[in-house]
Amino acid sequence: MTGRGARPARPRPGEATGLRTAACLVTAVLLAAAGPTVLVGAIAFCAAWLRGWPPRRLLVAAGWCAPMVALWLAMTARDAGWSAAAAAPFDAWRDFWRFAAAGLPLRAAVTVAPPAIPAGLVAGALAWAYRSDYLRSGAGGRSPAAAVAFDQRQWQHQVRSARARIAAPGAVPLTTRGDLIVAGAVIRTSGHRTGQLAAIGYPRMRSHQVVVGTTGTGKTTLLLRLWAAFMATGLRRQADGRGARPLVVVLDCKGGAAARRVADRFRRVLREAGAKSTAVWPDEATLSLWDLPPRRLTTTLVDLVEHGTGSAAYYADVMEALTALAVEAPCGPPRSSQDLLDRLEPGWLGTAYAGTGSAAEHAQIRSAGRHLGDVALRYRTLFRRLGAGLEGPGSFADADAWYCILEGTDQISVAESQARALTDLLTTFAAQATVPREILLAVDEFSAVSRRLPVWQLYERARSLGLAVQVSAQSWQGLAATQDERYRIAASAEGGIWLLRTPHPEPLTGLAGSRPALATTRQLGRYPRWLRQGSSRLQDVPVVDPGLIRRLDVGQAAYIYGGGVTYLQVKRLVAAPAALTGMQAVPNVPASRTAGQAAGRTASDARTLRPAGPVLPDAGSLLDAAFGREPAP
Amino acid sequence: VSVGQSSLPASAAALILAGEMYALQLDQLAVALRSGRRGASSLAGRWRAAGLAETGPLSQGPRWVWLTRAGLARAGLPYTAAAPGLSRLAHLRAVTAARLALSAAPGFAEGGGYWRSERRLRARMAGRAGLREHVPDGEVHWPGGTAAPWAGECWAIEAELTPKTPARTIAIMRELLHRTGDYGCLAADAAVPGRPPRHHRAVYVCSAAARPVVSRAREALGPLAPRVEIRLLPPGAALGDARWPDPP
Repeated sequence: MTGRGARPARPRPGEATGLRTAACLVTAVLLAAAGPTVLVGAIAFCAAWLRGWPPRRLLVAAGWCAPMVALWLAMTARDAGWSAAAAAPFDAWRDFWRFAAAGLPLRAAVTVAPPAIPAGLVAGALAWAYRSDYLRSGAGGRSPAAAVAFDQRQWQHQVRSARARIAAPGAVPLTTRGDLIVAGAVIRTSGHRTGQLAAIGYPRMRSHQVVVGTTGTGKTTLLLRLWAAFMATGLRRQADGRGARPLVVVLDCKGGAAARRVADRFRRVLREAGAKSTAVWPDEATLSLWDLPPRRLTTTLVDLVEHGTGSAAYYADVMEALTALAVEAPCGPPRSSQDLLDRLEPGWLGTAYAGTGSAAEHAQIRSAGRHLGDVALRYRTLFRRLGAGLEGPGSFADADAWYCILEGTDQISVAESQARALTDLLTTFAAQATVPREILLAVDEFSAVSRRLPVWQLYERARSLGLAVQVSAQSWQGLAATQDERYRIAASAEGGIWLLRTPHPEPLTGLAGSRPALATTRQLGRYPRWLRQGSSRLQDVPVVDPGLIRRLDVGQAAYIYGGGVTYLQVKRLVAAPAALTGMQAVPNVPASRTAGQAAGRTASDARTLRPAGPVLPDAGSLLDAAFGREPAP
Repeated sequence: VSVGQSSLPASAAALILAGEMYALQLDQLAVALRSGRRGASSLAGRWRAAGLAETGPLSQGPRWVWLTRAGLARAGLPYTAAAPGLSRLAHLRAVTAARLALSAAPGFAEGGGYWRSERRLRARMAGRAGLREHVPDGEVHWPGGTAAPWAGECWAIEAELTPKTPARTIAIMRELLHRTGDYGCLAADAAVPGRPPRHHRAVYVCSAAARPVVSRAREALGPLAPRVEIRLLPPGAALGDARWPDPP
C-alpha cells in the first residue's frame, strides 16, 4: 500500500469527451427549446456589444417591459382566471411552437413576445455582463492582451454610439428637468451613474471647476455649452422663483482675433440661451473702475501697480498713503483716471484737506508730497496700459453675459492688470449688488494672468460671495506658476474637473483616485498559446486612465467628480447667424447705451452702429412711385 | 406684366404670371393684360376651354383663375397644380397687387427688375423648407449694368396684411437680412458669417393695421434698420376691394 489518500477517480480521456458531448447536446436542446428567449437574448447581446452598452442598460430595458407583461397577465387572468395567468408563460411557449409548426411565424412571435422579450433581455444582460467581466479580468480570450483589445474595441463602439446620439436632432437638450446641465452624450462611465446623457446638476456649476485641454480639442465648444446651459438653467430657476438671475463673466486671457471670433459665438449662443443682453469688453462695452467704493478703489489701484520687494516696500507704502489721500479726499472719490492724476499734486491735496483734514493727514501730505510726481507717473503708465475700457460708464449689471478680452498673448502686463481690475470690480459687484445675482466667472487661458491673479485667493473670496469660478488652461502647467498653486486650484474644484486631450494629465487624473480591479496572470504554454491556468488578485488601478485622456479625440472630454469619471462626447451648440461683416461698432460712443439696454437690446446693439461699407443707394423713388411715400409712424 | 420675358405676348406672360402667383383674380389679370373686364374674362374663358386653367368664385369679388397641370406645363413651370387655399386668398391677392404695382413703376422696367415669386422659391427648396426657415413673398432681382442706382441688388418682398407679434416680425427681418444663401441651398450655406447678405434690403408692403408693428420692429433692428423699407399696400390690394381697370 502506498500512503496516498483516496481521490475521486479522474475520468479517462474517452469518458471526458463523452461527458462533454452529452453536456453540449443537453445545452443545445435546452437552448432550442427556449428558442424565442434565446433569440431575444442573442440580439440583445449583439446590440450591447455593437453599441458598447453596459449590461445595466439591458436590464433597464427589461424593466420597461414590465407594464407589457403585467397587462398581458392581467388580461389572461380576466379571461381565464389566475391559474391560467400563472401558467401563461408556459402556455405561450407551447403555443409558440404550435403556431410555428403550423407555419404561422408572425402569430407565434406575437404569442410568445410578452414573456420572451423581458426574459431574453435579462438573459442577454447576464451573458453580456459575464462576457465583459470575463474578458476584463484577463481570464478570457486567446491571450492576456485580449482584455486590452476588448476594451479598445468597446471604446470605439461606445464613441460611435455617443456620436450618433449627439447627431440626432433634439436628442441632447441644453438643460433638462431637475436643473441638469447637459454637456453631451455619455461614452462610458466609471464610478458614476450610467446613462445616455452626460449631465451635471446646476449646483456643480455654482461651484469652482477646472477645465484643461490643449488647443483644438474642443475646449471652447465645451465651455460655450456649459456657459449657455448655466444661463438657460439659471433663468428658468429665476422664473420659478428658485434663484437669482444668472450672470456669466468670461475673461479671455488670450486676446487677438481668435478671441473676437469666440466672443461672437459667445454672444450668439448666450442670446439663444435666453440672455437678455450680452457685452464684449472692451471692444463694445466699458466698465467703470471709478464706481468702486473709495477704500476698495484705493486697494485696487495700489494692487494694479507692480511693486518690487525689499526696499521697494517703502515706496509701496508711500504710494498707498498718497493714493488713499487722493481717493478718499473729503470732496469724494475721483471719477476718472485724469481726475486722479490731477489730484496727485501737492497743491491739490493741500487745498482738499485744508479745512477738514486731520493732523496725521496733513503730516502725510507734507512727508510724502515729494513723491507725488513719481506716483502720478506710475499711475499714468498704468492707465495707458489699461486703456479706456475701465473708464466707464458701465457696470456688470448692464448685461447678463460679459465676454472680456484681455490681450494676454500680446501684452502680458496689461492683461494681468486688467484681469486684476475686472475681478475686483466683479467681486465688489457681487458683494454690493442690490439685486443678488448667481455669478459664474470663467477665466480662459488662465496661465496668461496667473502671476498677478492668485486664483486660490479668488476661490476663497468667491466662495463667501456665492461666486463660482471656472478656470481653464491648456495644460496642467498652465494652471498656475507653481506646483503648489496648481494643486490648490485643482483640489478646490468642488464642481468637478473637465479634462480634454492633454499631454500630462496624471496630476489631475490622480485626483480621481483608484478602484479595485481584478488582475489575472496566465501561464504561457507554447507561444503564441496561453494556458487557462493562472492566478488572480485584486489590485488598485486608476479610476481615470491617463493614457485614455491622451488619446481623446476632438470633442471628447472626461468629467472627473467625486472619485468617478464620465467620458463624454460634447454636443456642439449651433447659434443663430452672426452679425453681418461690414457693420462695425463705432467705439467710445456710450451715450445711448443705458437707454438701449433699458429697451432690452444688447449692450453692443445699443451702441451707435454704422455700415462700414458703402451706404445702400436710395430706392425711395421707385418705391414711392409704386406704393406711395412711406407712411408716417 | 413683368415676368422676365418682356418679348412674350401679353396672354403668354399672363399665363406665367398666374402660374407663379398661385392664382389671380380677374381684375388683377385685367391689370396685367392692360385690358378691361371683358378682355380678362375672355382670356380666362379661353384658358379654361383649353384645359389650361380653372376658374371659380372663391371669394367675394371677381372670379379667381389658377392654372391646371396642363397650364403649368404649357408655361414651363415645374410646380404642382392645386387650387388655391381659401385661407391664403387675401395674402395671394395682396402679393399680386404689390407685384403689379412695383412692375408698373417707371424705374422697374428700366432697371431690368425681375420678380422671383414665392412659388418659385419654394419649388427650388423641393419640399426641404424647414419649419424655422422663412420664405419671403417674393424677391426682386436687379441685374447689374443698368443705370438704376440699385443695380446688382436683391430685395426681399414681404406683404403684411395682419400684424404679427413684434418678436416674430423682428426675427423674420433679421433672418431675411442675414441670409447669405439662395433658397434651396445647403443648410450650412444659408447664413454664413462673413459672406455678403443675399438680400440687400427687405421691402415691407403692409396694410394700415400691420404698419405700426412693422415700424416698431424695424426700429428694434438697430443698425439693420436702414435696410428695411416700409410702404402701404396699393389701393385695391384687399380682398373684396377689387377695382377693374379702365379698358384702353
